Amino acid sequence: MAAEAALSFKSVTKTYGYSHLGHITYSLGVENLSLEVKPGEAFGLLGLNGSGKTTTFKLALGLLKPTSGQVSMLELSQVGFLPELPYFYPFLSPEQSLRFYGRLSGLTEAELAHRVAHALEAVGLAGQRRRKIRELSKGTVQRLGLAQAMLHDPKLMMLDEPVSGLDPLAIKDFRDTLASLNEQGKTLIISSHSISELEKLCHRVGVLKEGRLVRLIEQRQWRQASGGLEGLFVETVRS
Amino acid sequence: MASGFRRFGGALRGDGALVKKVAILAWNCWLDNLGSRFYAISIIFGIVILYISLLLGMLAADQELRVLLDFGLGFIELMGLAGAVFGAATAVLREIESKTIYLILTRPVSRSQYLAGRFLGLMFSALVSMLIMAVLHLAILFFKGWTWDRAYLLAFVGIYFKVLITAAVTLFLSLFSSSVLTAMIIAAILWTLGHFLPEIRVMTPWARPALWPLAGLSYVIPDLQLFNLRDRLADPQWPLLAWTGYAFVYSLAWLMLAGFWLRKKEF
Repeated sequence: MAAEAALSFKSVTKTYGYSHLGHITYSLGVENLSLEVKPGEAFGLLGLNGSGKTTTFKLALGLLKPTSGQVSMLELSQVGFLPELPYFYPFLSPEQSLRFYGRLSGLTEAELAHRVAHALEAVGLAGQRRRKIRELSKGTVQRLGLAQAMLHDPKLMMLDEPVSGLDPLAIKDFRDTLASLNEQGKTLIISSHSISELEKLCHRVGVLKEGRLVRLIEQRQWRQASGGLEGLFVETVRS
Repeated sequence: MASGFRRFGGALRGDGALVKKVAILAWNCWLDNLGSRFYAISIIFGIVILYISLLLGMLAADQELRVLLDFGLGFIELMGLAGAVFGAATAVLREIESKTIYLILTRPVSRSQYLAGRFLGLMFSALVSMLIMAVLHLAILFFKGWTWDRAYLLAFVGIYFKVLITAAVTLFLSLFSSSVLTAMIIAAILWTLGHFLPEIRVMTPWARPALWPLAGLSYVIPDLQLFNLRDRLADPQWPLLAWTGYAFVYSLAWLMLAGFWLRKKEF
């Protein structure tokens, strides 16, 4: 029997309604989205601004409710989420933040001690674990974002623009960490504008255009294509 | 609803995860408030105002202690209320704006747990700030020769219950209105009306259909006059359990409405 999908969308549509002076206008988030991400897969979501990437993530995580269709995912205790710009409480330190999120994820005090230390070590924040978050740079906060997403050893990690605003060295560190997590068997779903990152990390990429999943591209396809993933993406969104 | 009760019962009987997560969120909210400029200012302002009550007391000559007592408790109520209403109006909205809510609600934390945690943290913050002001107030009173009266404690608890109720209503309003200022203004109006309910009920008899909406509203607005124990100091038989129950049931009802609204909310 095939393993249960880590994430599944069945004909999902999401429309947003905006009310102004009693007049409601609607805009489309995603339309008739059907998608299945297998356990252990590294899946990328690629699209222009407003194509529905973040909506897809929010639907999966229950922050938005679908207008129609069905979304199913692993339990939240098995999911780690890194939002595009992870916001933390500025009055806490990285260590305190991870303890807070770890407790909310259901980790015991005994588990917290080594999981927090391990997560801080993995993202290179062990030396800054006691500084207040308000004193940290954007790149460091992004690293902390990854640490909180992997803290509870989730089976599925959802990463929205994980390398946005990072310097080249940090991008490489991030990529290495994510590749290592995927090798350990974790399912990764990555939304990004960075085609080269998705090309290096993912087994499969879905292209979203105006809320619709218009193409699924396998790794072997972009490896064989002369323009790589970028060529296939441009061809898809311009068609 | 039955399944909700079963889940709640199960969590209490089991590892207590439900209660534990609420406590974690409440403690975090308390730390959040502790670092808030508004919280610090409300305490400092409360202390300054207590000092002013000392000056007013001096002007009152033979009624000095009474003026000190009444003004002090009144100021504690106003400052506690201002802090709690501001805190309640921003408790969830600020987290939505700053997106800190994302990293909480994408964990195995229900929206009701989240709301309960924020509210309890807020009420703990309000209690601490009011206690600080009360300790200073008592110090001034004792310094002026006042002798301890159990009624002071009852008056303080009555004030705290008013703050509790108003904060619960404000939290609901903040989710409903999506605007901090609107929620605070409506809360201030309700707080004012809540002190005049008997009068409002006399002015809006059910016999006049045109006044039914107002008459109905008078049964939704909290009866805050009940908690004005400064006006009831001479009535030691006042049923403590009844107004405690009223405060908790009323606050819980508004929190449940807020929870219902939050469950429907999208981020």
